[in-house]
Order: sequence, then structure tokens, then C-alpha cells
Amino acid sequence: MRLLVSPRLQEHLEALDLPGPGLVFEASDRVKDWEAARGALIAAFTASQETAVAESPVVYIVHGDDLLGRRGALAAMVATGLLSAARTAAIELSRKGAVVNVIAVGDDTPAETVARWVGHLVDPAGPTGEVIRLDAAHLGKALP
Amino acid sequence: MTRLAVVTGAARGIGRAIGERLEAEGFAVIGVDIGDALAETSFEPVQVDLTQPEGIAAVADVIGDRRLEVVVNNAGITRDARLVNLTEADVAAVLDVNLGAPYRLCQALAPRMSAGGSIVNLASRAYLGNFGQFNYSMSKGGVVGLTRALALELAPGVRVNAIAPGLIATEMSMAIPEEIRQKMVANIPLGRMGEPEEIADLVAWMVRPGYITGHVFVVGGGRSLAP
Repeated sequence: MRLLVSPRLQEHLEALDLPGPGLVFEASDRVKDWEAARGALIAAFTASQETAVAESPVVYIVHGDDLLGRRGALAAMVATGLLSAARTAAIELSRKGAVVNVIAVGDDTPAETVARWVGHLVDPAGPTGEVIRLDAAHLGKALP
Repeated sequence: MTRLAVVTGAARGIGRAIGERLEAEGFAVIGVDIGDALAETSFEPVQVDLTQPEGIAAVADVIGDRRLEVVVNNAGITRDARLVNLTEADVAAVLDVNLGAPYRLCQALAPRMSAGGSIVNLASRAYLGNFGQFNYSMSKGGVVGLTRALALELAPGVRVNAIAPGLIATEMSMAIPEEIRQKMVANIPLGRMGEPEEIADLVAWMVRPGYITGHVFVVGGGRSLAP
């Protein structure tokens, strides 16, 4: 499993010892300009393509506030860009039996909780094209 | 005082229809496009590449001291392929035009907008996901995030909304082979492609003073519901 995530989450994911190839890609909290946003989206593409060729699962991790545009345009563009890309990749990979999902986290979401959900979402028998929200930012708010 | 609007990708298709409709509503329209077909329009033409900083600066220069009421970010491109076949260049080009340009243009023009102004971003129904459009979908999803963030950032002075069109009868969609196009239309509950003027009608309504901001209007004839 390829882990492009923060060191803290990486520690918990490695402890899970997830089976087989796949990708977990976490959007950075530091998107200071357009070039950084563009770079993050292209990095997600490159890693996702390699995973798609292997017909393996993909999980993107974004911040729930970014799906609603609360932390500025650049972070929002990356988060919602990844969500839409996940939906398209899910359509394309569903024919191959691979799943693609998004986890939306909050400031206080424990890394171990995120890791546990990654474990659920790489299961080929599980959901695909979904966003799982582990914070409460979306309650009573717009759906992405 | 003349009301001023900027419309990108204004030389043809949806952008041209939007510009013409805004003119009919009494706006002076600055039409921005990379191609030279702007000469065929009645818009104040700005022929630039919006992926370049000097292109954005040129639009701002043309506006000058005038207050801006409406910005419509419409310019967009496609480079379609399945995810496994896309190149990094395909992804970069689509992100630069469809997402980077509207972000930078909003950054440059928002301070020039008058209170009560309105930004309309053209997303796409593909932001919900569409086979063979990983890069396009990513870029248009980003436009939705841009719209939401700017809606919060620019309130209460400027409203920011998006339109997510489905299959619209433009030169771009008419270039799709007839047989494939007919199959696409067969999956649209309303049984036809949309017309550019239908998007323009919605833009004209959206830029009137109102209580809606941060919203995405999906205009796809029901395609996002059908199997």
C-alpha cells in the first residue's frame, strides 16, 4: 500500500498492515499558492494512475471544512478537486473491481480513527465513490 | 452609469451566449478569449491567454478605473481519456485553464467589484463524476470548491455561484461523433441537449440582486439522476 500521508497517519496505517497494493493520499494542510494546489492535484493524479493500472483501491483524505470552502480557496480547490476525481475514478475502476473513496476529517479526528476507516474503504466489497465524513462540519450544511 | 461584466471564453458557445444575453440586459461586456473569433462579437475584446499572469493583468488593465459588477468564468478545455491513459500534460493543461485561470482572475478582479456584484463560475455536471474525464472532473470539482470559498470570503458584498452544465449544443459537443452523441442524449431524461441560451438565461437571473450564494446549479436535463 502506497502511503502519501502525514507521518502521524502513516504510523497508524503501517500498524494496520493493509494487504496488497493501493493508494492513500492525504491533501496537505499547507497550500500557499496556485502552484502548490496544482502540484497537489497532479501528484494525486500520478499516484492514482499508477494505482489504477494495478486495479487497486484508492483513498483520498481531505479536511471536511475544505469541502465547504471554509479554509480558503486553494485548500477548497484541492479538496473538492480530489472528491470529483475520486467519483470519476470510481466509475472507471468499478469495472475492474477496485474501489475509490474519500475520507473527510476534522481538526480533532484521531489518526487512528482515520486509519481504521481507510482499512474499511480499501475493501473491494465495500462502497465506492463515497465520501465518509469523520467530523461534524457537514451537519446541517451543503452536501458536496 | 454603464454596468460592466467580464465573460471569459466569450468568442463562441456558452460564453458568447452569456455575453450576448448580458448585453441584452444592459451590461457592457468585456469578452476574453484566447482565440481571434472575438472580432465577430460586439464585446470589448481582450485576446489573451488566461493561464499566463500577463493575460490576467491585461484584463485588469482593460477594466481600468471602472467598477465591475459581474465576472463569468466560462473558459474551459477538455483533454479526455481514461485515467490509465491520461498524461501529466493532459492533466496540467486542463487544471491550468479550468481552475488556475478562474482562481487567478477572481483574485485580480474581486477587489475591483462593486457591492452587490456577482461572480458566476462555469463548472460542469462532470464534477459529479464522468467516465473518461478524471482531469476535467478534477478541475471542475475544484471550481466548486473555489465557488464555495469565495462565497464565504467575498460576502456580503459579492455573491459567488456556479453552474454545472451537462451536454450543451456547442461546437465542442457537436464534434462528438453522431452515434455517441445520440447515446448520450438517450440518457438525458429531458431527451435533448441543452442550448447555450439556456445557460445564459440562468446567468442573467443569477446576477440580479438576490439571496443565493455558494450554490451550484446543475443544468443537465436530469442526467445526474438517470441511470
